[in-house]
Amino acid sequence: MSQIDDDLYNQYPLHLNPTSKSITLNNNHRIGAPERPAPLAPHPRPAQHPPPPLPMNPKRSAQISKLRDSANAAFRKSAFAEAARLYTYAIDMALGRPGWEPVTLARDELAGLYSNRAQAWMSQRLWVEGVVDARCSVECKPGGNVKAWWRGGKCLAEMGRWDEAREFVERGLEVEGRAGDGGKELLGLLGEVEEGSKRAQRAVKGN
Amino acid sequence: MVNWITLAVPFAYLGVLLGSLATFSSLYRKRKAMKSFTLEPWFPPHAPRDIYFSLMHLDPTTASPSGGKDKKAPAVPDSVLKAALLRRAIEDIKRVMALRVQKPALAMLLQRGSVGDDLWQRFLRAEKEMEDEVKDVVAEANAYAPGWGQTIFQSANEMLNNAILRERVEKQQAKLQEEKQSWEKKKDGYLKELDAEAAPAAKKPEDSAAPAAAAAAAPVTPTSESASTPATKTPESSGAPPSVAGSEEDDAVLVEAEKGAKK
Repeated sequence: MSQIDDDLYNQYPLHLNPTSKSITLNNNHRIGAPERPAPLAPHPRPAQHPPPPLPMNPKRSAQISKLRDSANAAFRKSAFAEAARLYTYAIDMALGRPGWEPVTLARDELAGLYSNRAQAWMSQRLWVEGVVDARCSVECKPGGNVKAWWRGGKCLAEMGRWDEAREFVERGLEVEGRAGDGGKELLGLLGEVEEGSKRAQRAVKGN
Repeated sequence: MVNWITLAVPFAYLGVLLGSLATFSSLYRKRKAMKSFTLEPWFPPHAPRDIYFSLMHLDPTTASPSGGKDKKAPAVPDSVLKAALLRRAIEDIKRVMALRVQKPALAMLLQRGSVGDDLWQRFLRAEKEMEDEVKDVVAEANAYAPGWGQTIFQSANEMLNNAILRERVEKQQAKLQEEKQSWEKKKDGYLKELDAEAAPAAKKPEDSAAPAAAAAAAPVTPTSESASTPATKTPESSGAPPSVAGSEEDDAVLVEAEKGAKK
């Protein structure tokens, strides 16, 4: 009896707009599922289905790496605001990647771009933007991303948020491991953070 | 003749026995079927699947009331149907993953007797259902474009993961404004603190500068000795300056005052 009838389904009174191809539900009919799916956005190209994830169209990747290179060049010339702007363009382009393309690729690209933009913000002493971007970067790619962990911790330390900084750097250490160059750098930052927090506590006590 | 009567007894016995067994078996099966039929489904209704089928069965005349009969072309374009099919595949992936995660835990609970057999039955039914569903999606995809069935779930998986990633990144970025505001507030607090520290330090040089200036301006007057002494003593008497910058300024003033005194 566990056999399921393939033709059994709930009929919804849908309406398709022939020009905009948007699908609407007639007369406030409620869809039974608690999580209602997002409205369908049909692909503009007709009669084509998404290609398999691999191999993929290299055009967008080339565009993104071009933008990143120009942003890196601007950063080297100490034009930090310009670099941040270019990184933002590159990030937008990477975020706009079609959904069916490999997620690992998007993760790698976004991790690098966010981390670099964090550095660009830090050079302008914009710590909040820096820490947000560093968090995004480690969200995209937690492992092998020492720079982002370090930058995030540094930004938090600069703002005097010692506890958060310690937590962030310790999480980074857990992911990256204590051995190796990255681990050493993170440990160094951790030491700085500890010192800073002690100083801050002393200052509070002194008052 | 006698044979028939004596034979009727075992036949009647057999008939009654088989009849009762058959009725019992059919009743039992029916009840079991009813029970499994009334079992609650494991998942809530599959909305993307329902939407897909609703679109498939959309009546062309109701779909385009203005078009009428001259528009015999499919009322729902292929692209929309494909998008709906992809949504369906995404939901399927979510469900299959959920089943895979739940299976070992549920099996263990069942072994220990923590959960009833009903739950296991429901789970098995859901598993079977999903198997059929995945097969159906692959068949549908192959019907749209030969070979798409092999990649549709790959695509759907990437779409799902990409959507999750975007959502997470957006959540982080959404915190930016809030963090910015709190940091501005905090920074203002720091600046005020610094101002408050700097204020007394800034005042002192003025105090000590006045006698120093007086001492410098009136070196010829006989009161110069008495005027310069308070000037040199002011920093010590007013306590240690709290900030380094203040003390440096005081030192400078001291030196000036001393110069003035020497004159």
